[in-house]
Amino acid sequence: MTLREIQERFQTSVLAGLASGQAAILDSLRDSPRTDRATLFAVYVDAYRLRLAEFVSTDFAVLRDYMGDEAFGSLVEQYIATGPSHHRNARWYASRLPEFMRESAQWRSDRAACDLALFEKGLADAFDSVDAPALAIDALAAAEPDDWPRLVFEFHPSVAVLDLAKGVARLYSALSDGGEAERADPDDDETILLWRRDDEPVYREIAADERLALIEARAAKSFGDICTLLEFQNNDETLLQRAAGFLAQWFADGIVTKISLST
Amino acid sequence: MSIPSSLGFGLGLRSIYYPDILEHEPNVDWFEIISENYMIPGGRPLAILECIRADYPIVMHGVSMSLASSDPLDYAYLRELKSLAERIEPAWISDHLAWTVVHGANLHDLLPIPYTREALDHVVDRIRRVQDFLGRRLLVENASTYATFQDSEMEEWEFVTEMAERADCLLLLDVNNIFVSGFNHGFDAESFIESIPIARVAQLHLAGHGSYETHKIDTHDQPVCEEVWRLYERARLRFGDISAMIERDDNYPPFDELLAELEHMREIARTADDVRSRSAT
Repeated sequence: MTLREIQERFQTSVLAGLASGQAAILDSLRDSPRTDRATLFAVYVDAYRLRLAEFVSTDFAVLRDYMGDEAFGSLVEQYIATGPSHHRNARWYASRLPEFMRESAQWRSDRAACDLALFEKGLADAFDSVDAPALAIDALAAAEPDDWPRLVFEFHPSVAVLDLAKGVARLYSALSDGGEAERADPDDDETILLWRRDDEPVYREIAADERLALIEARAAKSFGDICTLLEFQNNDETLLQRAAGFLAQWFADGIVTKISLST
Repeated sequence: MSIPSSLGFGLGLRSIYYPDILEHEPNVDWFEIISENYMIPGGRPLAILECIRADYPIVMHGVSMSLASSDPLDYAYLRELKSLAERIEPAWISDHLAWTVVHGANLHDLLPIPYTREALDHVVDRIRRVQDFLGRRLLVENASTYATFQDSEMEEWEFVTEMAERADCLLLLDVNNIFVSGFNHGFDAESFIESIPIARVAQLHLAGHGSYETHKIDTHDQPVCEEVWRLYERARLRFGDISAMIERDDNYPPFDELLAELEHMREIARTADDVRSRSAT
């Protein structure tokens, strides 16, 4: 048998498991002086599932606390059964879990759990996203007032805006501190801005108008265009003040990395 | 051919011990990282690694190169690895005589190969190509194995020796893996060590393992056991002053316990070095 054939057979047998009766690799293995080949091959079969389960448990430790070991174990088993990892790096194996939950008939009805998974993944992504230095607010002060409408912004690569069930961020915070939390409200929404500051993921809830401004700003819309859009949506006299307030807050948060003028 | 100078006595760099290392600058000669843990876009792990790198030599040890796989070499992975190496400037890079991936599906385990001429030619060719790409000599580690193949045409140590000579690579000899595989397959661990060419071994690994009645599993979740310490002494007697380190990847003890194990390793090395110098005179 060629190396290729052996590896294909070995892999198929690990994925199928010994109980499946499809462990054809056993014909190619030797017994050891102390035990039979099935016992030895089972080390690989067991290790595969345990290792993948550990990756998911490590990446979604708070979700596990929230769901309890039994329900989380069932979720992980289903996730592993969707197919093998296609990542060289174990860091990314569990990253599809929130998407899997949203698409699953069993799990999508638990919006709090789905959104908690999304939030936990967001924090992990922010934790090791690409580095970029934050821009000081002095850069904004240096821009000519006439140029402000043409200002466009670039943001730190860790920035994410997540629409979640109301209370999910509070729930995460309480669970990760080992405390009790009120249940999230699946019928109400919150928008969370999360990013990395001083090497740690941080987050805050943002209101609908800041959400809109931020989404537009991240899409490279100019400050003038963002104000026009906000005005259209709100028809509010204090709009300019509030838009400038958002901008100042983004600089204070350390999420703006570059400003330039739109052409 | 020369092997790199000894870095002394090292430990695996694991995030749980960052505070101990950063706050106390412990008496560890060097650290070995799991390369994949730092093959990430950015953030704290890389910042801390650079901070520790400023004070300690670092070695990069990978688990995903899949050197023995029959899939094509993954150059995207190798490019990332090379990029990390350019940033960290490790003393060397190592990975395993094993495969993890076939048809692009990763089992995230160090899987065994049949010791055949075909596998040997294949692995030798891949090590050479990896070394050409990385522009440096690779250290290849013997993995713990639980299964052996009917098709094998030679013993593991014969395969490893010929692989190193033909690929012109160096060896990372894992003393615990030799012990675990020896127990599992019924070969003599000391004979394994004695058969490996001295000029190819650049690093030693030690670790703990799980023990069952019929087999042992390379778990890295226990202290190094007495039999493995004895094998380390044997290896030190044979290979002399080469870099050695302890891997711990689960059931983490207080950092002081690892430092005590490291001190024990130094004592064994001193004793072995005395024996070597007496027999040389």
